[in-house]
Amino acid sequence: MLCTFCELKTKVLSRQPQLLCACAAEFEAWLLFFRMAADNSVLLGLVEEFVSGQVDSKAAETVTGSALSLTSSQPQTRGRGVQLLSQVLQECYSSLSEKELEVLLAFYENRLKDHYVIIPHVLQGLKALTECSVLPPGSAVSILRSIFQDLHVQVNTFLKGLGADFIFGFVQSVDGERDPRNLLLAFQVARNIIHRGYGLGKFVEELFEVMSCYFPIDFSPVSTAVFQTASERVESAGLSAVSALVSCLSRSVLSSDSEDVLQVFLSLVLKDCQHHLCEPDLKLVWPSAKLLQAAAGASYRASLIVSAAVIPALLEQYNNRTQVRSLLMYFSLCLLHKHTEDSVLVAFQQSLCSVVFSALTESSAGLQVTATGVLTALGQQPGLLAQTDVEKAVDHLTRLILEEDDTKVSLAVVECSGSLAHLHPKAFISRLIPRLKEEILSGQSDAAVRQRCVTALASVSSLPSVVQESAPILLQVLASAHTGTHSFYSKISFLIIFSTLLFSYRSASRMASQAVSLFLDGDVSFLPENAFPSQIQLLQRKKQHLWDSSCHSFTSRQVEIPEIDRLLVQLEDLSCTCPHLFSYTSAAKCFAGLVNKRPAGEALDAVLERVMKRISVELENVSSAQRTQAFTLLLWVSKALLLRYHPLSTALTDKLFALLSDPALGSQVADGFCVLMSDSLDVLNRNCHADVRIMYRQRFFAENSTKLIQGFNSAEQEEKSCYLKALSHIVSNLPRQIQLTELPALLPLLLEALSCADQAVQLSTLSCLQPVLLEPPAAIRNQLEALFSRLLALTTSPVMKVRIASLQCVHALSRLPEHMVLPFRARVLKALAVPLDDKKRLVRIKAMVARGEWFLLGSPGGK
Amino acid sequence: MSGGTRLENANPLIFQRSGERRLTATDEDEDVADPIDDREIFDIFSKSINDPEHPLSLEELNVVEQMRVNVNDQESMVSVEFTPTIPHCSMATLIGLSIKVKLLRSLPDRFKIDVHITPGTHASEDAVNKQLADKERVAAALENSQLLEVVNQCLSSRAM
Repeated sequence: MLCTFCELKTKVLSRQPQLLCACAAEFEAWLLFFRMAADNSVLLGLVEEFVSGQVDSKAAETVTGSALSLTSSQPQTRGRGVQLLSQVLQECYSSLSEKELEVLLAFYENRLKDHYVIIPHVLQGLKALTECSVLPPGSAVSILRSIFQDLHVQVNTFLKGLGADFIFGFVQSVDGERDPRNLLLAFQVARNIIHRGYGLGKFVEELFEVMSCYFPIDFSPVSTAVFQTASERVESAGLSAVSALVSCLSRSVLSSDSEDVLQVFLSLVLKDCQHHLCEPDLKLVWPSAKLLQAAAGASYRASLIVSAAVIPALLEQYNNRTQVRSLLMYFSLCLLHKHTEDSVLVAFQQSLCSVVFSALTESSAGLQVTATGVLTALGQQPGLLAQTDVEKAVDHLTRLILEEDDTKVSLAVVECSGSLAHLHPKAFISRLIPRLKEEILSGQSDAAVRQRCVTALASVSSLPSVVQESAPILLQVLASAHTGTHSFYSKISFLIIFSTLLFSYRSASRMASQAVSLFLDGDVSFLPENAFPSQIQLLQRKKQHLWDSSCHSFTSRQVEIPEIDRLLVQLEDLSCTCPHLFSYTSAAKCFAGLVNKRPAGEALDAVLERVMKRISVELENVSSAQRTQAFTLLLWVSKALLLRYHPLSTALTDKLFALLSDPALGSQVADGFCVLMSDSLDVLNRNCHADVRIMYRQRFFAENSTKLIQGFNSAEQEEKSCYLKALSHIVSNLPRQIQLTELPALLPLLLEALSCADQAVQLSTLSCLQPVLLEPPAAIRNQLEALFSRLLALTTSPVMKVRIASLQCVHALSRLPEHMVLPFRARVLKALAVPLDDKKRLVRIKAMVARGEWFLLGSPGGK
Repeated sequence: MSGGTRLENANPLIFQRSGERRLTATDEDEDVADPIDDREIFDIFSKSINDPEHPLSLEELNVVEQMRVNVNDQESMVSVEFTPTIPHCSMATLIGLSIKVKLLRSLPDRFKIDVHITPGTHASEDAVNKQLADKERVAAALENSQLLEVVNQCLSSRAM
């Protein structure tokens, strides 16, 4: 064969060497060469070697003599070579055989790695090759792979230029593809095509057809491991491709006379998938369902179209078999969750409700659970559950609570009841609660049922109207709890209820007395702690907290709490002796809450005197283990008294100030000032009917600021930071006006605070400084040097928040009168160059903004 | 500031502004370093530089687009292409200079800043690009107080 080739070559080269002819001759030679290579695997191997640059093969020798431009060292020459080859191919691609095509493809794909000058010609050649009818399977995909891998220029613009041809070629090549790895790539490419806005033009249908024939994916894997995950990935890639396509189509803009592309596409989808849903053997139900769900989930319009077609069909089929029921539930759930605007299911409201209810009576646990999910979702959207439906739902739920003992189902039922009760409390009050009450109090039902009832009662009690009904029942439950026969859960659920009693609530005296008596007398059965396992201890702690908050939160001042003295004593004991942080803190809070509401008089004074004595004793004893508890009690009682302007409050706060220098408690006390000054959420606020007088903060500050400053000045170096912390807590909680008027006196302290090493102090000082700097008082002019040095130093703090806050302050300073700050300009600009390169973006942005402002300062055109 | 009463582009096309950049969890994490990216550079000048003729930002006039900003943090290089609104815009140099100055003031010293006109969008783009690329010319320009005034006016902060 090689001889024949040599003959050919000599024959060809013996022609008159006109330039064009020579080139043409050369390429005819190459073409012959390729033809032969296709028939002969040896030659094929030689071609491979050739293209990878090794020139010294036998076949190469025969043709190197003719100065082949394809292997020239000049990229331009190679480019011309490839260009001519591509042009030749464009003329004669239809006559190539499959093997020849393979060889040529290998050559071209390899050339993609070549110099960029050559690439356009390579792509042209590839384009010609892809139009061959005998394109081997998988080749299109491998072409695309090489393109995306090897090309570094803007592929997208080029491929978009190819436009419809590219899409068509792609569709053709994917058609019939079997290898899952190729399929994966094909789906990804399809997604890219859609997302990057290639004009799909008239090929939407074809694209869909070629994608959809892979659904449902029926996969018989050749080798299990690789292909199993591959099939899942292929499926999910395909589903997301469909989803992307639908969402893209939904957003497309239509001209007035063109047909709705989305409609067209979805009718194709539905045509293919719908009959599967109703087939007798239901083989392809779930894959079709997933496909439909992917399409419906992509946009609101799509969901309308899909649901209008699918739901009625499913509803019709409902009674025939279980699969359909689960399917329907699954569908509805998806549709309800995806779109929260006017629901797509309004048209099917009645039938859907009846279907859900009938599902709740089924025996399949999975179906019941899904049905409760659908019910919850239905309840949350307006207009989907009529009043009668709500009542039916409540009845179903009641029945399930009482009868269904599968744990998954009862959990789902409880959740459903909880969310529905929040939206439709009346139905629950009138139907669920009386039934459950009957069951609980009958004393005859078994423990599991009672537990479920109690848990359900707890979960529905999220609104005051419901709590009013359910709480007395649960109180009774707990009252009988001292016999120890009730399970742990009932107590917990009871406690959950009580935590919701933070709502304002009148006429609670009856409940208050019940609660208190339970607490006081019920205590006996729960102490001492040591004998009980940790679960009970946890329970006790929770109980304390919730008892406390309930006691003082829901009672107004007019409500008499029975045995209040006894209660106070107990709480005092608890808060001073209990080792658990949670318990003693909440006991202290409760005590404070009660003290705050107690009317003034001898009784109150007596209580206060007693408690102060106890606290002082405890605190003076430096080695006592309960100093922290005593301090906590002191703090909360001080707050209680401060809020109501009680005369004793001064004595207490003085004590707190004195404690700032205490070596052990100093920093806790400093943090405590935050508690003292800020609003606490669970106690001693207006929602809990506490006695709060207006402007107590300002009053406190006015009375104590000098004391604070004096204390600071006379304190030891190590203690100063505690004073500063306390100061920054106090000042940051003041209203802005006060901050502004007080600044002159405090400025030296604040500047000290800036150089304090404690980052919390720095941060709180910076945050109170910044608003003040926006409207700075005259006093600041004397402090500028110190201010600038400190602030600029903080711009390199290790804490991000501190850097940001100090940069904001520097920015604010640029607004001061020019004559005051201009001398600092150069220094600031230099210093701010450093945070421009900070590793956090948020810091860089602030630095940029500040530096920009400082550049404009004093510059022509700047301000 | 140009003194003329006739605007060159009296009725410009207005483009939509991109929204604020979304904060992610890593942005607030102290230990993670945020590299400087295209969006960050784009945000530096796109909203805060006024067009000399209109009370609109460069972004709104599509003079700058995020796609035409390229930054390489590792190699300390920034490249910005801007597109004057009309091919004979005489403010092209001023706009380019404003962008360059803004970047010079907002980026660390290590960065090499390249500001040029989008190829094919201006009649004298070569000349303008040459001026903008020349460090000495830019420095000299900024020492001219009238020019500095004009540039600063463009850069004066706008209420966002």
